Amino acid sequence: MTLNQALALIRSARDSGGEKQPHCLLCGFEPLHLKTLFQAHLLERLPGSAVEIQTGIYGDLPGGLAAAAESSALGAAVVLEWSDFDPRLGLRSSGGWAEHLQSDILASARQRAAHIETSLEKLGRRMPVALAPPNLPLLPLGNTVSAQASVVELELEHLLASFLSRAARLPGVRIVQRNRLDRIPVAERLDAKMELLAGFPYTVPFADLLAASLADVLYQPSPRKGLITDLDDTLWAGIVGEIGVEHVSWHQESHSQTHGLYQQMLGHLAGCGVLLAVCSKNELTTVEQALARPDLFLKSESLFPVCADWEPKSKAVARILRTWNIAEDAVVFIDDSPMELDEVRRAFPGITCRQFHGKDPAKVWQLLGELRDLFGKPLLMEEDRLRQASIRASAQLDEMGDEAASPEFLRSLDGKVTLDWRITPGDKRPLELINKTNQFNLNGLRIGEGEWQRALEDPATVLAVVSYADKFGPLGKVAVALGKAEPDENGVTRLHISHWVMSCRAFSRRLEYHTLEGLFRHTGAAEIVFAFAETEKNKPLRDFLRAAGIAPPAAEVPNAGAAYRLTRDAFYAQNHVLPHETVDVKI
Amino acid sequence: MNDTEKRLALCFANVFPELSDDQIRRASTASIAAWDSVAHITLLTSIGEEFGIDLDFEEFAEANSFAAVLELVRARSANAGN
Repeated sequence: MTLNQALALIRSARDSGGEKQPHCLLCGFEPLHLKTLFQAHLLERLPGSAVEIQTGIYGDLPGGLAAAAESSALGAAVVLEWSDFDPRLGLRSSGGWAEHLQSDILASARQRAAHIETSLEKLGRRMPVALAPPNLPLLPLGNTVSAQASVVELELEHLLASFLSRAARLPGVRIVQRNRLDRIPVAERLDAKMELLAGFPYTVPFADLLAASLADVLYQPSPRKGLITDLDDTLWAGIVGEIGVEHVSWHQESHSQTHGLYQQMLGHLAGCGVLLAVCSKNELTTVEQALARPDLFLKSESLFPVCADWEPKSKAVARILRTWNIAEDAVVFIDDSPMELDEVRRAFPGITCRQFHGKDPAKVWQLLGELRDLFGKPLLMEEDRLRQASIRASAQLDEMGDEAASPEFLRSLDGKVTLDWRITPGDKRPLELINKTNQFNLNGLRIGEGEWQRALEDPATVLAVVSYADKFGPLGKVAVALGKAEPDENGVTRLHISHWVMSCRAFSRRLEYHTLEGLFRHTGAAEIVFAFAETEKNKPLRDFLRAAGIAPPAAEVPNAGAAYRLTRDAFYAQNHVLPHETVDVKI
Repeated sequence: MNDTEKRLALCFANVFPELSDDQIRRASTASIAAWDSVAHITLLTSIGEEFGIDLDFEEFAEANSFAAVLELVRARSANAGN
């Protein structure tokens, strides 16, 4: 993006009348073009909103960090340069960097790094923070030629790496990947003239790349949830039905390491909670034997379901999507055959299809990088580890049909529903659920991280985070209800639910009824008002609202956008089956 | 209004979005409170990008009105053409 494109974008968004979205840009230098470009990149990611950028005072990064932590901003970008660790490392200083000063510069840098870390911890607790490490070259500190690294430069790099690895562990703080900025060489980043003239150190192209990276780190796309892979010439080299189970390969010594790398990538994704399934035109028994080979680089139990038959692949993909109970746009399909990819793409236009080029290591390397971006998320959670096992448990329940929904069966599960009423801003799982759940979702409304944290600071906020476990194992945190409990002029409390979602893994266990009962009991509300809106995908939620008597039957719905209500008396009069033990967690 | 003037007016409009076309033609550092040193650098960088010319900030430091900036841009564009 050029500066003029950014200015034009900001100008056109100026009169949009969208919701104000304040963000902070914190740096020790004059933010100048970086502020303009950051605002424009945020506008691209938050269309229709009125993005505002708040900045600090020149040369006072600590003061800016402290003020931001008290502000109502929805997110912050913190851009560090070497002069923030010691002013003598900046172009505008006259303190010098002679050898006898260098130990003092290092000591000062350590002290300032510790101070910045403390400030970042406070800021990260209030809003998501994208932190960019120094990207400009150091002054010529060493006694060495520039081709040789000097000890003091290495000491500073070491100090920086140590600081960043600690900062990356702070809640809410995310570090901008330095090598993503390598598209612009270090020599083309510094605008020395502008730095001395105006205190702004970057060339415009570098400021643009940095601004885009900060926005990308703050507003990441929703990760895909599942990957469906072909086997022959994809997971392994060779056609297993022709050459036999023992002769398909994926090893360096058999010149098929690209398949081995792919297997290792799938193993890594499985560990991150990504669902993996197989879709192959083969005999199932042959496939099972091949997947049982002990030298496979991923655990074969990570692959579920395994669909191997001679039907068109789109049919197997449909079965896998039903088993996983997720939408096609959350899935990646990988096959070596363009024809198979095309057949699946035609049946499921929302699926991300990628070809596997086993004989082209460069393309496989590129694919691995793309998979990282498709499935990457800022933080791994306990639920990511549980997902694969709970999908298998759900599939077992599905095989039982209607019997699995009977009260007797549900009671036999020894289920335990935990309703956690604590407001815990550091727990990102409830927000993740709200922002990725489609089917059991009250209105499809998403929430930004900063907006979420501001909502949790409201004393009227009620948050129910629902976890579930039974004899098949824990599902983790699977449902969230967010709202505000406020008394009317007569002192009667009404609970206004703005968001209510439940993971599809938890369907058919009546957790939604347990949640309603908990909401009435915990808040003492006489009535719950639901901010319902119909979406393309929330039919399961609509079906529940009707079953629970909250919404009228489909034929009688006068206005799908209306707020639906449920009184306490009506809820308890219906005597809903609550088959599980309920545990409340409060402060 | 010729093409150079139109393009320059667009640069001004992007940096000072609250100004009307007429106000832009009459704009000067004395009449526009928002035309401070930061806005001046933003404006000059925007103009440099629009016209593909490398502006000398010191030369343009005295260009304190739309008319003065237009005159300098015309001169620099002509020099660049030569």
